[in-house]
Amino acid sequence: MRAAAFSLAGINLNTLTEYRADLTRLIESSRPELAVLPAYSALALGLGTGAFVPGPDFPATFYIFSADIQGWNDIFLELHGGLAREQRIYLAAGSTIELDKGRYYHTAYCFDPAGELCCRQRQTHLTRAERDYDFDRGEELFLFDLEGADGNIYKTGLVVGNDARHPEVGRIMACRGADLLLHSGALKAGPNCWRQAAGMWSQVQQNQFFAVEAQFCGNIAGEEFGAGSALIAPCEITPESSGYLARGYPETPVISARFAQGDRRQIKQKYPILDLLNREAYAGLLHLYSDREKGEE
Amino acid sequence: MALNGLKANLFRRYLTWLTRPVRIKKHLSSTLPVKKDPAPVDRRRIRAAALQLEFRLFKNPLDYAEEMCRQTAKAAAEGAQLAVFPEYNNLQLLGMLPGIEKVEEGSEEDVSLPDLFRYLSPVVEPLVHTLFANLASAYGLYIMAGSYTLSDREELVNRAFLYNPSGELAVTQDKVNLLPMEEEWNIKRGRSFSVCATPLGNLGFPVCMDATYYETFRTLELSGADIVLLPIANLEAYNFWLALRGIWPRVQESPVYGIKGALVGTVAGFSFTGKAGIFAPLELTAGRDGVLAEAQSHDQEAMAVADLDLEALHDLRADHPWRDINLPLYRRYFPEIYGSPGG
Repeated sequence: MRAAAFSLAGINLNTLTEYRADLTRLIESSRPELAVLPAYSALALGLGTGAFVPGPDFPATFYIFSADIQGWNDIFLELHGGLAREQRIYLAAGSTIELDKGRYYHTAYCFDPAGELCCRQRQTHLTRAERDYDFDRGEELFLFDLEGADGNIYKTGLVVGNDARHPEVGRIMACRGADLLLHSGALKAGPNCWRQAAGMWSQVQQNQFFAVEAQFCGNIAGEEFGAGSALIAPCEITPESSGYLARGYPETPVISARFAQGDRRQIKQKYPILDLLNREAYAGLLHLYSDREKGEE
Repeated sequence: MALNGLKANLFRRYLTWLTRPVRIKKHLSSTLPVKKDPAPVDRRRIRAAALQLEFRLFKNPLDYAEEMCRQTAKAAAEGAQLAVFPEYNNLQLLGMLPGIEKVEEGSEEDVSLPDLFRYLSPVVEPLVHTLFANLASAYGLYIMAGSYTLSDREELVNRAFLYNPSGELAVTQDKVNLLPMEEEWNIKRGRSFSVCATPLGNLGFPVCMDATYYETFRTLELSGADIVLLPIANLEAYNFWLALRGIWPRVQESPVYGIKGALVGTVAGFSFTGKAGIFAPLELTAGRDGVLAEAQSHDQEAMAVADLDLEALHDLRADHPWRDINLPLYRRYFPEIYGSPGG
């Protein structure tokens, strides 16, 4: 199954038409069955098209964006659903702010080749800054069936932003049968390679699923974002055992690679990490988290 | 050599005599320094040593004792207050068995490695206690002596030992998650993780494969561990990325310091590789790479030494930029994954 990760670098965000044309061109050049966009895609497009005016800094811009989000989300989701239908691909559209019953969530969306919404995932672990923005946490993790042209069904989940650094997310999804995780991320520009290795790469290695990591590259309200996108697999089935099937620089617009479900199943059979996990030894983990949270209150 | 006959029993009695505590102590007394008081503890600078031992078979247990002594002295000379030895630190003592080379090369003798571990266990365990208790006391160090395959009643365990500078066994830790090979050997899995409060901080010490899983370091960190000591013995060709899986990502997920002691080298076609090292959350390392010190070689003797700043670790935890806990999420899914305590 061929997958691609997009950084939005070099994509014209000035109008919806130009954005759609540029993205279409990149999709057609990489010919994926699955395309994954980075986090903050809705925000970047909203600012680029002038639908929102940036504030003096990133947090202020975030507040402005959140305050009037509903109409923009309709436009954003309709555009990406249409693009998925037109290209007959699965399209993880990146992330936006979701407003539901007065609560704000950082949420990612994925459309199937018919253009229908097949998954919506709220971020479940917030950074300190996101807690300051008064975001709420999602409390469920979802999986959907992604049908590859190779005839395999990939149980697929979305990983939003900071959830990449929380291994609980990958473990829960893996134990519920995940074959593939799609991560929409946005990291401030800088030396990010180790931060990323500590995120999705580590989650892949300790769960033996595939992952697509799409990292945003661009500037939002004076804040520079940039990290390399990646397609990740268990080390044993990647060149030089690196765990990477493809890896881009922050400014690389798109990277793509093919996932071989058969190879992954072989590795899981040979060395079944999750079967070897002594689960009973961790039955007290929930109490430990609970005690920690009480201690912090 | 069959292990259940008269000759075998007599030979084990001979080995017990060879490794009797008084003999080990007497032998060490010529080598060990005058007993040192532990260095005063500065929580901003705990000096730790990760030892990388090159595998070789010792026919004479006194030579093994000398080697462990040499390694400890090396760490102490660097000012270490804490030294970490590797997993399977008993393998080298298989050399006490005559003809062991033939067993390793696949002789006709129907003796398995677990049989040998069981046979030697009554010899190895007291030797290890005498040896490391005396080393810890003489050098004024905390020593995580590595792990040993030993009999526990009718079963085998892969057990690690922590000794304090008073020369006492502070706590033990059985390996909780086993390799397929160890499952085949019927090694008994540990059921929980220990954390030992010391003036150097709270220490946890899971064993090798335990670091494959985020849950281990999360459990330890939530139980108060500041420093996690990890003995490893990896039977695979060295590769940077394969070796990265383990303690490095675990330290990034659960903010603690991590110290890895490694067994390396080749014996009878078996190659152990790895790099002993000392790791920290990215935010606490100068290169933002999570590495404080690491051995240069993956197959030769080495040592990594670094200073750990417990205050900086606690400051990071108290004002962490990205860590979060989502109890409703865990309540929804964890019982299905891990079961419930006691049930």
